[in-house]
Order: sequence, then structure tokens, then C-alpha cells
Amino acid sequence: MRDNASSSNSGNRRDFLRGSGVAAATAVFTQTAQVGMDEAAAEALAAQGVAVQSGSMKITLQVNGQSMVSEVEPRSTLLDVLRHRLDVTGPKRVCDRSSCGACTILLNGQSIYSCTTLAVAAQGKEIRTLESFDTGPKSVAHAFHQNDGLMCGYCTPGFVTACQALLEKNPNPTLEEVKKGLDGNICRCGTYVGVVQAALDAAKAIKV
Amino acid sequence: MAANSWPEQTKLINTRIPRLDGIAKASGKAKYPSDERPEGTLFGVILYSPHPHAKIKSIDTTVAEKMAGVKAIEVIAGPGKFVRYHGDDIAIVAAESEEQALDAVRAIKVDYELLPHAATEEQAMAKNAPEVVRGGNVRKGRAQTTGKPDEALQKADAVIEAAYSVPVVTHVCLETHGLTARWDDKNHITAWASTQAVTATANELAESNEIPVSNVTVLTEVMGGGFGSKFGADIWGTTAARLSKKVGGRPVKIFLDRIQEHLAGGNRPSASAKIKLAGNKDGKITGMIAETHGTGGVARGAQFPLPYVYSIPNFKREHSDVFVNGGNARAMRAPGHPEGCIIMESAIDDLAAKLGIDPLEIRKANLAPGDFRTKIYLDEIAIGADLIGWKQNYKPRGTQKGIIRRGFGLALHQWGGGGANDKQVSCTISSDGTIELKSATQDIGTGIRTVLAIIAAEVFGLKPTDIKSNIGNSTFPPGQSSGGSTTTPSMSPPCYNACLEARDELFKKIAPGLRGTPPVTDLSLADGQLLVKGQPVMSFKDACRKIGMNPISTLGKSSPGLASNGVGGVQFVDVTVDMETGVVKLNKIVAVQDSGLIIDKMTWESQVYGGVIGGLNYGMFEERVVDPISGRMLNPDMELYQLAGASDIPEIIVHAYEPPEQKQRGVIGIGEPPTIGTAAAIGNAVSNAIGVRVTHWPMTPMNVLNALAAQEGKA
Ligand code: FES
Ligand code: FES
Repeated sequence: MRDNASSSNSGNRRDFLRGSGVAAATAVFTQTAQVGMDEAAAEALAAQGVAVQSGSMKITLQVNGQSMVSEVEPRSTLLDVLRHRLDVTGPKRVCDRSSCGACTILLNGQSIYSCTTLAVAAQGKEIRTLESFDTGPKSVAHAFHQNDGLMCGYCTPGFVTACQALLEKNPNPTLEEVKKGLDGNICRCGTYVGVVQAALDAAKAIKV
Repeated sequence: MAANSWPEQTKLINTRIPRLDGIAKASGKAKYPSDERPEGTLFGVILYSPHPHAKIKSIDTTVAEKMAGVKAIEVIAGPGKFVRYHGDDIAIVAAESEEQALDAVRAIKVDYELLPHAATEEQAMAKNAPEVVRGGNVRKGRAQTTGKPDEALQKADAVIEAAYSVPVVTHVCLETHGLTARWDDKNHITAWASTQAVTATANELAESNEIPVSNVTVLTEVMGGGFGSKFGADIWGTTAARLSKKVGGRPVKIFLDRIQEHLAGGNRPSASAKIKLAGNKDGKITGMIAETHGTGGVARGAQFPLPYVYSIPNFKREHSDVFVNGGNARAMRAPGHPEGCIIMESAIDDLAAKLGIDPLEIRKANLAPGDFRTKIYLDEIAIGADLIGWKQNYKPRGTQKGIIRRGFGLALHQWGGGGANDKQVSCTISSDGTIELKSATQDIGTGIRTVLAIIAAEVFGLKPTDIKSNIGNSTFPPGQSSGGSTTTPSMSPPCYNACLEARDELFKKIAPGLRGTPPVTDLSLADGQLLVKGQPVMSFKDACRKIGMNPISTLGKSSPGLASNGVGGVQFVDVTVDMETGVVKLNKIVAVQDSGLIIDKMTWESQVYGGVIGGLNYGMFEERVVDPISGRMLNPDMELYQLAGASDIPEIIVHAYEPPEQKQRGVIGIGEPPTIGTAAAIGNAVSNAIGVRVTHWPMTPMNVLNALAAQEGKA
């Protein structure tokens, strides 16, 4: 963010709007602990004032243990940068506004909706998508497969990721906790029965 | 020789087999059409109408064209053209990034002449309503009459008069409509399309771009849901191809945004009915008079079956299609049937309540005598009643007391589900033991890829994972479009025949070289081995080595006896309703479903669960809300357009009805039937609980409270 602070000099209306877009998003971030913007960073930002950013900029993201460089716009969402620029297409774009969970990823270990997270805000953080998860016999993916917790499969990456996040936090979830943990995700094909069973089975499998 | 029955003893067919692409999908590695970004891809963004009805006076793209990253613009609705609904297409911009395309779309200047609209049925049916289509907004179909309905109503012991309605709902495919098209050279298009029909999509791309269909390749390795709404390239896809040509062959990717997906990606028409239903104390229905209408937006298609399931000797029906300024309807999972089922099953329940008859008994009394489904229904009703605990739990409508009340309801449905008999599957055995199937069908989440592999593995004595089941390519042998529950019954017979022929060919080729030159009739395959007179002699792989350089390749066709059509199905629902808040809680759903021979019980079961949950959404949550003043859809999202989440799903019991005579029928499709009866059964359970009919779907607190208020005369 700081790299581009100089562009605040060339402020036209669009730049202003974009800058305020970042600020608005930041306000949302700080309201929802989910997003994982730590308080120190928020304070630093508040002290420094809103950075105005425009045009495109080069950023580096840590995706699945790899450094990936991409040319992005300040308004580019993390999801769109992953999918459209880096070809990390596991996370899907479905509602594009925090309603369905298809774009769920792990940011510093927290599950977040990447469709409403700005790519610039993910710099310096650990991004994990389901492509990096284990798929062996004790994995979440395996449990989904064995329980047929997927049909068309377009919601599946989001469910698998939400499930992974849940089990990393709570290795012994009850049925109710599994349902709650997956309530931020929507499946249109109607795979919930298999999905919930998969989460319970994966919890058991991972322990042994 | 082509087979005319499935084997009696099977190792894989009719067992539970996880789908072949399960891990690919659950690991994020499966590439969906919307994931594809071939080298040089440009992003297309669509400008669509914010107005329900307007004439385009002028459209100015000059500023947009000069903006950073913009490569080409195609205008769909130029000056003089009309846009007829919120979401109607106007222009598409292709740019280096999606963000740039979005900016350019915003910079296109459109001068609209706003025209009066009729965006709701009420508006469209009003006197002097603005015309959505020339010739009037209300199209009356021909009245159907059987017997003497008026007389029957007069003579009956009881008659109910009621109105029922269910709103427009949309498909909400998670992967939106769209494709990426690349104009490879002057005359060839490759498209990665999210479609239920690779063949139809190829045809449409070829026709609209005036090239032979043999020059088009449509690829759909996997796709994110269609539910009846994705049967072609659509204007978006054909424009993507045109744009790609325009920019010298760079691929152009166009997928709708979520808003336009709701507005223009298809919907299930609404249905409203005024019903008079007459019957006698013995439970026999004697007559029905129905006035019905519904809207499919700017298109027709709001017809639905009525009477439904039951045999009614005297009936009269008039149906009208109402045109509104709204996106046009498309086939949606079991088109027409959930609507007809809601109306029929509500009316029959209300009549049962008036006559004081158990809802279960009135249904049994009115099944068509002599129809093949009657026995199926009777068996399924008995099984379902048992599973829901009807005997112990059911109490007549209006006998419940207290604030929290429990209710039970059921509904019957039916579907065809037969297949086409002109589809083909090729089967190739290579000398390295690889078996590859090919057909231009596609897996929309139903599991057909796995079903084909199971059939092949059964024939070759292998594991399903040993089979390369290649579909989703329009250049493969002709395959079925995935609609109407026809894919499995269309594709299983030619697959089986292709494999049998290939196996026989293999035997013929290798028998002479085996020790003792056994006759081919002595050869068989099992557990990855070649057997002579039942004794394993070598591995399947080694046997294949003996076929030499040229692979064995067969093209299987359909043959009679392997597939059939026509299914019933019964669902029961158990609910609890809070009389003060109107909140409905689902406790349990039971689905008893027949569908001939089930190839893969696991994916079959998923289809039934999925159907039930689709019906649950229809019964509990879904509604396209249109603002009459602005004529715009108010909830084109996934927040206010509500769909069930994990916590909304009650216990669901799926029971496959498959006595031996069902298995003998051969393969029948399962996609549509299980989604039909759920919403009707939910409505009946709610009415049973609260003592009055909730006349408008879905069973939201508002609709429940309105029904209670109406009963108290407060409405
Ligand atoms: S796409 Fe991000 S929540 Fe739906
Ligand atoms: S599997 Fe298709 S949306 Fe969930």
C-alpha cells in the first residue's frame, strides 16, 4: 500500500473514489473479525491516513506457499486476482458478495470470503486455497468423495475449505457445530446430507 | 449382437460407487468452463437494461472504445431496438481485464425512451395494461373439457373452492451462464462452455457464425449446474465467438454476473389457480373445474399439467399464459410438474379435510385404475407412511391446539424419464489395456461419467476407475443433451452395447493364440483377469497385449429392452409451526422413489436428496420479488433470494423402490421426479398443522401469518 502512496498527488475523481473504496472495505474488515486484519495494522493505517491508490500496481501474494506476483488494481478482489490473473481457480465466484461461500479461502488461517477481500489487503499474509490441502485417505476431500458430498461440484471448493477451517479450529465438532460451521455456504444441487457426513467422517479420519 | 436385457448377476451395477471425478472436484483441481483462461483471454462484460421496458434512442460507445484495455465492443440492442425486461442485453465489451471491461460498460452512453411496463402479473392483466407483446398480455389456451364437470359439482357430497399460487423462481446455477470462445483460425471455434448440451451449443455457435458445425468444438469437462437453463450458446456465447473473431482470434470469456443470471438466465414460471373440486363421502373425486394462469416473462411456457396424477372423470380447465416485462422462462427441473403438483395436491387435501377423510385414503381412492403406476403408488404410499409414522402421528386438520403445532402431509408425483434411442458411445481397447469410452454427452452433476464407467467395468471385469470415461466434447459420437432425466436412459444402452461388442471382438482376436485355442464361448473376464472355462489364465492387461497394433474400437447403439420410462414417487413431510411467528420448521422428509434399474446407487441417492432439497427451497424460501413501480427484480442475489443452508436441512429419508419388476424395466432417469412433490407436501403439512390452507407459496412466516389472519377475517 505504502508503495503507491505517491499516486495520491495525481488525484482525480476516480482516484478518490477508488481510494475511498479501499477505506470502505477497511471499515468492513475491522468490523468483522473474520477477515483477519489484525488490530495493529488497522491502527497503523488509521494513523497514516487513507492511502489513495489508482491505476495498476504490482503486488506479491503468498499463495499455497509460493510467492506469486501480479499486476492488480486497488479495487481487484483477492478472488479475481487468484482466478483471473494467477489461475488459482479452486475458489469459485458465485454471488460475488459474501452470501454463498464458494470463494472461501484461508487467510492467515482464518476462513474468509475472497470475493469481498481486496487483493492489496492480502499482501504479506498467508493465503491457502484448497488446491494445497491433503487429498489422501485421511483428508477432507477424500471424505467428500466417499460420501458423495458433491454433484456439479461448483460449491464444493467452498465447502471443503470451510470444513478444513472448521476442523483446524475444532477437531471434534458435533453435528450442530458442523452445520453451523458450514452455514456460510450454499449448494444448489442439494448435497448437504453428504457434505455434513463428510465433515464428521473427516474429523474422525484426521484424528487416527 | 446388441443386448436386450441387463445381466441378472452384477458386481458393480446397482451398487454404491463414488463418482470418478470426486477428488478432482473436491481438491479444486477440476477445471470448469469458467476456470479456463486460454492464452490471451479477453474478458467480456455485458451491459444490460436497468429498465423493464424501453426503446433505445441512441447508443454511444466512442468513449468506451478508447478506454484502456478495451479491444472490441458488440452492440446487441442498437438504436430503435427495444429492451423488454430488467436484465435484457444491450452490448458487450471485451477488454484485457474484467475491471477495464466493467469501466467501459459504464462509459457506454445509452439514451432510453422509457416505456410503460407491466412487470407483475397484476399489472399485465389489468385493463389498459401496456402491451408486453403485440396482441395482448393474456393468451388464453383452448379450454379442455372431459365429461360433465358442472353436473358433477352439483351432485357431489362436497365441493371445495380455493385459490392457490406459487411465484416465479430462478435456477440459480452456481456457475453462471457463459463460455469462453476462441476463433482458432478463419473457420474454427473452440468453446469452453458451461452447458447441458455440448451438441446444441456447437450447432448454435456454427449457425450464428455461419461455419460448418464440424468446425466447432465445444468442451464441457465439468460444469457448475444447469437445472434446465443451459441448453445452448445463448446470445452471450455467440457474441463471445463474434468478438473473438473481431479481435483476431484472442479468446473471449463471457460469464454472466449473479444479477443478470437471475434476471436473464431463466426461471420457473409462476402458477395460479382457482379450483373447484368435488367428491363424495366414499372419497371418490367426481369433478374439477380449474382456471389457471402463470407467467414465463416475455415468453410463453407457463403451462403445467392439471389434473395431475389422479383420475378425475369430469373436468374443465382454462389456462392463460400471461406476458410480463420479465426475463423469459426456461425449462427448470421437471418443468410444469412441481406447479401442477402443488395445485392438485392442495386441492385434494382440502377436499379430504372437508369430507373428513384421511389424506392418504383419498389419494388411494383416486388413482387411475389399470394404470401401471397405481400399484407403484400404493406400495410407495405404504412404505412412506411407515417411514414417517403416519398412523401414530397424523391428526386431522383443525384438531391441533397450542402455539407450537405439528403437521404431516404428503404428495404424489410422476415423470417420464425415458431416453432417446439414437445416441452412441464408442469403446476403444488399446494394447496397453486402456479402455476408453467417448460420447458427446456431459455430466452436469448427475454422475453420468461414472455411470458409463460402471457399465464398462462390469463388462470387462475391471474397476470403474480403470475406465477412461470421456464425455463433454461435441466432436465425440452423438450423445444426449442432459434434460428431462433422459441422459442415463439414453446413454447406458449404447454404452453397454459398445462394451459388449468390444469385449467379443477382443475374445475373437486373442482366442486363436491361447493355449489349446479355446472357442470364444469359453472366455470370460472377471477381477482384472482373462478366464478360460472359468479359470484365470492371464491378466486383462496381458490379454490386451495380444491384440497388436490396432486397437479394438466399436460404436455402440441403443437397443430395446435396456431402458424404459414412466415413474411415480411419493413424499411425506413432518413440520412444526409456530402459530405466533408463522415460522415453519421442517422435522423430516421421506422420499420414496421408483426409477427402474439403478446403475449407481450412490449418485442416484444424491440425485434424490438434491431433488428433495430443490423442492424444499421451492416450498420454503424461493421467490423472485419484482417491484411494480420500477419494474425491477428486488432480490437478484443470494442473500434476499433465499436458499437453504446446512442448518435448514431436516432429516431426509430416501427410499429406493426397487422390487425385481422395477429392475427388469431397465434404466430410467432420476433427475426430475424427486424434486416435484416436496413443496406440495410441505404445504400440506403446514396446513395440517395450523388448521387452514396457506394458499401462497413459499411457506414463509408472512404467507403463513396471512393465511391465519385471513381465517380470522383480518386479511
Ligand atoms: S462468491 Fe464470495 S461469498 Fe459468494
Ligand atoms: S454441488 Fe452443485 S452447487 Fe453444490
